[in-house]
Amino acid sequence: MEPLDVELDETEVELPTEPMLVNVGPAHPAMHGTVRCVMELSGESIRRVDVQVGYLHRGFEKMCERGTWGQVFPYVDRCNYVSPMLNNVGFSLACEKMLGIEVPERCQWYRMALGELARISDHLTCDGAMAMELGAFTPFLWMVKARDMIWDLMEEETGARMTHSFGRVGGMAKPPTDQFKEHASAVVDQVERIVDEVQNLLYGNRIFLDRLDGVGIITQADAISLGWTGPCLRAAGIPYDVRRAHPYLKYAEVEFDIPVGKNSDCLDRFMVRIEEMRESAKIVRQCVERMPDTGPINVDDPRVVLPEKSQVYGTIEATIQHFKIVMEGLKLPAGEVYSYTEGGNGELGFYMVSDGSGTPYRVRIRPPSFLATAGLERVITDQMVADVVPCFGSLNMIGGECDR
Amino acid sequence: MPTFSLDGREIEFQPGDTVIAAAHRSGIDIPHYCWHPGLSVAANCRMCLVEVAPPPGRGAMMLDVLRYDEAKGQYVPAKKPKLQPACQLPVTPGLEIKSQTSEHVKEARASVQEMLLLNHPVDCPICDQAGECRLQDYWLEHNGKQKRMKDEIIHMPKAVDFGPTIVYDAERCIVCTRCVRFCEEVVGDPVLDKRERGNLGEIVLAPGRKLDHAYTLMTEHVCPVGALTAKDFRFKARVWFLRSVPSVCQGCATGCNAYTDFDPRNQTVFRHRPRDNQAVNKYWMCDEGVLDYQRVHKGRLLESKVRSQTVAISEAVKAAADEMRNFGQSSAIVLSAEHSSEDNFAVFELGRALGIDKVYVTGRASGQGDSILRDADKNANRAGAQLVTNGAAVGNAAALKTDIESGAVVQVLALGSQVETAELAQLLTKLSSLVVLCSHEGPLASAARVMLPASTWAEATGTFVNRGGLAQISEKAITPRGDSQPAWKLAMLLADQMGKSLPFKKGKDVKAAVSRFASTSAGAQA
Repeated sequence: MEPLDVELDETEVELPTEPMLVNVGPAHPAMHGTVRCVMELSGESIRRVDVQVGYLHRGFEKMCERGTWGQVFPYVDRCNYVSPMLNNVGFSLACEKMLGIEVPERCQWYRMALGELARISDHLTCDGAMAMELGAFTPFLWMVKARDMIWDLMEEETGARMTHSFGRVGGMAKPPTDQFKEHASAVVDQVERIVDEVQNLLYGNRIFLDRLDGVGIITQADAISLGWTGPCLRAAGIPYDVRRAHPYLKYAEVEFDIPVGKNSDCLDRFMVRIEEMRESAKIVRQCVERMPDTGPINVDDPRVVLPEKSQVYGTIEATIQHFKIVMEGLKLPAGEVYSYTEGGNGELGFYMVSDGSGTPYRVRIRPPSFLATAGLERVITDQMVADVVPCFGSLNMIGGECDR
Repeated sequence: MPTFSLDGREIEFQPGDTVIAAAHRSGIDIPHYCWHPGLSVAANCRMCLVEVAPPPGRGAMMLDVLRYDEAKGQYVPAKKPKLQPACQLPVTPGLEIKSQTSEHVKEARASVQEMLLLNHPVDCPICDQAGECRLQDYWLEHNGKQKRMKDEIIHMPKAVDFGPTIVYDAERCIVCTRCVRFCEEVVGDPVLDKRERGNLGEIVLAPGRKLDHAYTLMTEHVCPVGALTAKDFRFKARVWFLRSVPSVCQGCATGCNAYTDFDPRNQTVFRHRPRDNQAVNKYWMCDEGVLDYQRVHKGRLLESKVRSQTVAISEAVKAAADEMRNFGQSSAIVLSAEHSSEDNFAVFELGRALGIDKVYVTGRASGQGDSILRDADKNANRAGAQLVTNGAAVGNAAALKTDIESGAVVQVLALGSQVETAELAQLLTKLSSLVVLCSHEGPLASAARVMLPASTWAEATGTFVNRGGLAQISEKAITPRGDSQPAWKLAMLLADQMGKSLPFKKGKDVKAAVSRFASTSAGAQA
């Protein structure tokens, strides 16, 4: 390059004209989880981007083949780790579909309530992080405060704040605590109040709206062909929700709406999640009202459900039951099943193949955020570098689910 | 073949079969404890009860029973058909049996299971049978409920010393009398008997006796629960960590079919179990054979030695090649009746490549035989070792002794660890040169100038020909221990070192060559 203190004639200066390659590497605060984007920039706009995922691949699906069906629960927990209960419930339902059993009514309401609380936690994280990355730190802290209330409730119920491993084939690990209904209602009220505050703070903010409105648009046709489901697809205007289209548990018996966007941009994806939180709160209230206070949580099948520990220590039958389930693994009949639920990011599917033994032959997790991330390229090409942050945030790619 | 109907399926049977035997032959399992295809019928466990369709024109024989009525909350009189034990019922053409399609049978099985577990101790965590226990399997499959008895179980003697090999636990025993029948019928030594009855039933020894015949470990094998345990295997390993391969017992020339159970995590062989083979050993093995697996780990030579110095295998191969360069007219090959045909074939071919034409076979000294299973020849492959020479003359231990004494043989390349007599063992030290491929300590290893460690039968797949001329394959269980390698590989290393070529390059060539010899033997390929 020419030295700086020399007078230059602008017509003689050589300006580089090749596009610039910027590596927004896997370790980057704006890359939720670990995703690498190699961007080809022309000035501020992105000509091409190469999205590389897989940095969080932990080999879950293979690991499932080295344990028993019950040992899969900690793995699915750590897929979408901001809404782990939805993963647990999804996997339990898949196993129960294969067995042809249905859990008792009390368990169904319990699973729904916990699942919707997990969904609220997921959306709080996503929207809070989106706001924070645009510079709005306060609403992020408010949302995290709300999320913490939910996590405290989860800790009371399951013993862990985040990755609970609470689901079981044929029920749940423990019945609801005595204060569950009271605390769940209180938490949901508080969370809704905080969501209202956040909305008031953000929806009138010029900077926030300018950064999100009209940014990162994807057409409906593209969204469908990419296989998007969940809030991203609903923001594109398509009202597909597994809970409404193929109801499971008691979703057919509760009232809730499906928020749908109009412009399919980042703002719509943000707002759809805010509205979904309100709908989930509605569902939780209905579950809490209708869940029976007495009755079994687990199905009464000695082939899949572990007996009470006190029985295991004292009686031979419970010892045998415990022994067979733990040592040989609970056995699912040979065959294959595809079971799907509405996860935090869309249709969370489990395609499982069983060979009749206690060890899974194949567990394939259909990760909704993997498909959403596949659309990242489409969404940010021809946007500006600064738009990457809200676009990527609005897709809610959870590394654990995307890479497994 | 005549057939009868079982759960709507037509099953073939042979005249004289019972229902359970015919079903067993067709691969259908009717749950049972006391029945065994190799023993007489006792019909005391009642687990194999099945419903028999009555003859046309007559109703089934109905019994008065009490059944619990949930609505009334009490037991009410009911009727159920009398069921028959499948192990005792002879099959006749046109018989219609219902086992798992009958509700009465399902109820009966659940009840029998409840009864068997009524006084059963909570021993699963310390019981060796866990993982291969019928009580566990059948409870989960046929019952699945808690027993209705609320009292403490009847306490019986536990850990009773039955003899040098077996420990008995009366609380776990379901008194199926398989052990009693085995000792009486197969061994011909009625040392066990049942005492008392009802929930006080237990197995006892004949007065003044111990369980000390040659097949005691088979009582542990037939016991469907953890009542009889082998002192050798107790508390050593959990069966779900063990893998099995089909193998051939190395204890004697009978060549009983076995399973070698080993733990792949630490490459240790833990036990032998019999494998069914009607032509060779039916369902049984003797104690010597069952315990023979210990030789995989005991008394092994795992490093090469030149004189008494431990050296790396490459050095030992060089030293052996140096020794064998002078081998010629007064040299001999000694094959081993203890080693597989593949090992013997390779060493024989090595000898031929070196121009050695004197061949002998040695092995372990003879022992006690009997008319049940045991053979006096305690080597598994004497017949196979002789066959690999493809007709060339093979001398025995006595001939070798004579030839060493007369000076006709002064240099020896030997395969194997043992020789039959002490005199021959003495004579080995008089040889001017002795190169040995052996697996265990013994007279050959002690007298050797150069010793290369060979793998045992458990560390390589091999063919063994039994006393009847039947060639059987024993499969590899664990990887070769220490520096040891299969003897046929050692033979190839020696040939390479000496610049000689053998008529094979890989393991499967050796196998193919051996199978040609094996198929010329009197028996058929197993």
